[in-house]
Amino acid sequence: MRDITLGQYYPADSFTHKLDPRVKLVLVIAFIVMVFLVKNLIAYAAVILCVVLGTLISRIPISKVLKSIKTIIFLVLFTAVLNLLFYKGDTVLWSWWRISVSLEGILFSIKMALRLILLVMGTTLLTYTTTPTGLTDGMESLMYPLKLIKVPTHDIAVIMSIALRFIPILSEEVDKIMMAQKARGASFDTGGIVKRAKALLPVLIPLFVSAFRRADELALALDARCYNATPNRTRYQIMKPTYRDLIAVAGTAAFIVLVVALNMNFWGAYVPSESLWWLFS
Amino acid sequence: MRIKVEDLSYVYSPKTPFEKVALDGVSFTVKEGDTVGIIGSTGSGKSTLCQHFNALIRVTHGKIYVGDVDISSKKTDLTALRKQVGMLFQFPEYQLFDDTVAKDVQFGPLNFGFDREEAARLAAEAIKMVGMDYDEVKDKSPFELSGGEKRRAAIAGVIASKPSVLVLDEPTAGLDPIGKREILELVKELKKSFCKTVIMISHNMDEIAANCNRVIVLHDGKLLYDTTPEELFADPEAVARTDLGYPHSVHIKRLLEAKGVKLDTAALDADSLLEALKRRYCV
Ligand SMILES: Nc1ncnc2c1ncn2[C@@H]1O[C@H](COP(=O)(O)OP(=O)(O)OP(=O)(O)O)[C@@H](O)[C@H]1O
Ligand SMILES: [Mg+2]
Repeated sequence: MRDITLGQYYPADSFTHKLDPRVKLVLVIAFIVMVFLVKNLIAYAAVILCVVLGTLISRIPISKVLKSIKTIIFLVLFTAVLNLLFYKGDTVLWSWWRISVSLEGILFSIKMALRLILLVMGTTLLTYTTTPTGLTDGMESLMYPLKLIKVPTHDIAVIMSIALRFIPILSEEVDKIMMAQKARGASFDTGGIVKRAKALLPVLIPLFVSAFRRADELALALDARCYNATPNRTRYQIMKPTYRDLIAVAGTAAFIVLVVALNMNFWGAYVPSESLWWLFS
Repeated sequence: MRIKVEDLSYVYSPKTPFEKVALDGVSFTVKEGDTVGIIGSTGSGKSTLCQHFNALIRVTHGKIYVGDVDISSKKTDLTALRKQVGMLFQFPEYQLFDDTVAKDVQFGPLNFGFDREEAARLAAEAIKMVGMDYDEVKDKSPFELSGGEKRRAAIAGVIASKPSVLVLDEPTAGLDPIGKREILELVKELKKSFCKTVIMISHNMDEIAANCNRVIVLHDGKLLYDTTPEELFADPEAVARTDLGYPHSVHIKRLLEAKGVKLDTAALDADSLLEALKRRYCV
């Protein structure tokens, strides 16, 4: 097996890996909604706890999680700086021209940064623990209502899974072709942008030729096995929710209740002390 | 050109769940003039080993010297190295891309710094060498050629820049018997001119026995034997360990021996077996 990060799947034997993909999809949607509901910092703490617990249960190494955050770190910093400088708050600490930094601004930019990071961490947890096939099967199953209004959900799912399946194959092929051309003296990492683009031609042409050939062969193979998208096809792997899925749903529901409660200071039952206002606003 | 491999190891996708040790402490030396056969079952690391010789895979552990140049060093001149060590891939037809065969074969020489005229001359020479009619194929698209012709065009593309070492990854796989023989003949021709050292991977023991003066047997990324075909195929235990089988001629010799017919030959090809039989029966 090769390490193709686009599929992102990280094989491990964990509670989360064994969950029904449909349940995971729904839970991730619930999680996203939860992240957008959150208002105060103490509730954010609860969401952070939720994500950290999820990651630990999934046995994903910290390095992998950090890698997924690294891809958005620039966006996070950029929005945080903008929020910091342009948020109109009451407790102004420093101002110049139209720019002002306020206490509320600082809190707001921290929250926005947290929100982005948590969104990415939560959703990559899904892609790390679910195979691409599991994801497409799950989506197909969840799109069931669309099927009733004659949207070809099965075809969409098959197209998606074939496309996903082809990514590692093509990337392997690119490696092979690049090696063969390098052996004939081609170089792909020297020269200006035009030269580099030109150097890709000897890779792209064989790649397209073989991709079309593969697509043809796949179509033939599908035909040869009498494949067609008739209704009521049976499945090789049947998704079946188990007690684990129940536990996962219950756990997430508990977190959502907790977050909502913290968000509203337990429906006003709790009045925070003066010095802790920043945690609860 | 002498090639020296010292304690070479290679791991694919290290530190991930996909980690795969493809080579594990391999050491051997190829002398100038050798034809070395590299054999071993599928996945034993043959291709991985060979891709090290022209630095398509950079050395991560161990050392390789090509001539006197240490190619494990970061400062190696890759272009010069790849001009010197030509490499033919397992499915070389993947490398064809240009709109005519002649231009495609010129790709290598042009990359290695020959001028247009010189490259055209080298390409014409190489196309003739692989047994194709230059005037007929030079303006054809490489995609119009048959499988065997594509293979030849690809070989021409590699030998056009006159490498002094040739590394062949299963050069005859998927060809018809005549095509196979022609490719092996070509290798012999090349050895007489500019390309003195040949390293070839093959699953065909007949080819190895008849063409190589040395064999290297890999198994699970480790070097199992570094010996001659005579010795390897005379040792039933070794052959059993590598689960590769005998060349046909050796197999027949062993059947005869089981019947009590002793022959004074290693029987590495049909001719030597036939000669030994003639001597034995005085015909
Ligand atoms: N790009 C790659 N990424 C990850 N693993 C690889 C890669 N290429 C090869 N491997 C693995 O490394 C091992 C050695 O592969 P290699 O291609 O060198 O074998 P081989 O001896 O050439 O086999 P064959 O006779 O099938 O060509 C195999 O187990 C293979 O799965
Ligand atoms: Mg191979």
